[in-house]
Amino acid sequence: LRRRLAVVAAVAGTATATWLYLRHQKEQERRSRRLRELRALALGQGDFQLSDTSGTPRRKADFLGRWVLLYFGFTHCPDVCPEQLERLSGAVRLLERDPALPPLQPLFVTVDPERDDAAALARYLRDFHPRLLGLTGTPEQVRAAAAAFRVYVSAGPRDADGDYVVDHSVLTFLLDPDGMFRDCYGSARTAEELARSVRGHMESYR
Amino acid sequence: AAGMAAPTMEERKACWGARDEFWQCLDSHGDDAAKCEKLRRAFESRCPQQWVKHFDKRRDFLKYKKKLETEGFHPSEAAGKS
Repeated sequence: LRRRLAVVAAVAGTATATWLYLRHQKEQERRSRRLRELRALALGQGDFQLSDTSGTPRRKADFLGRWVLLYFGFTHCPDVCPEQLERLSGAVRLLERDPALPPLQPLFVTVDPERDDAAALARYLRDFHPRLLGLTGTPEQVRAAAAAFRVYVSAGPRDADGDYVVDHSVLTFLLDPDGMFRDCYGSARTAEELARSVRGHMESYR
Repeated sequence: AAGMAAPTMEERKACWGARDEFWQCLDSHGDDAAKCEKLRRAFESRCPQQWVKHFDKRRDFLKYKKKLETEGFHPSEAAGKS
């Protein structure tokens, strides 16, 4: 009797294990398919056609394979943009210290293409982080990029000197190596908080 | 494109410093701008005019926010504003 029970238990065990394995496989398959669909969608979403500070055309696809932290701002910004860029750069530096983490590309997209050409961006951004890459373009390209990211942009009235400020959403976006949106940070986050959040996303990726 | 280049890091810090000195003066004189004219002029000379306007608005906002936090919100007052 004991032997028969043992056999039944073994068969039941094997059947259960097989069933669990197949269910797991099916779940994996479903998840991979979903991920493929999202990736295909991601390439079309939040895309941009801009030029970097060396004049090279850049689109989102060019940054695939890397995590991206992207901030919209302008060089004539009185206080918010320098502060946010300090935090962004601080976060990048914190994460760079850990060799186990994947590479992170900091990006700056101007909301003031009329004044922020490649040279202006290069001058402005080198004060924050050596790898912080500036992107600019025609007013149409910049408008499209801001729209793709749902970033509000509104240039203010010009004064007698032709100077003006640009009102804009203060947001830093995190994109994963597949170009998908992972997170979005407002103005309150410190460099440490940013780094911690990005690290969390990197560690739970895929 | 507008002629002026954007302020450099040093120029920004000089502007913020002048602004902070002016604001500290206002804080210690109950916002009496007449008592802080010299610092006001220094602030205006160190910052682009657009930034002066921006910081003036910011100061108003910060004061209003502080007022809300200490005194509470009075809807009838707010309705009078634009």
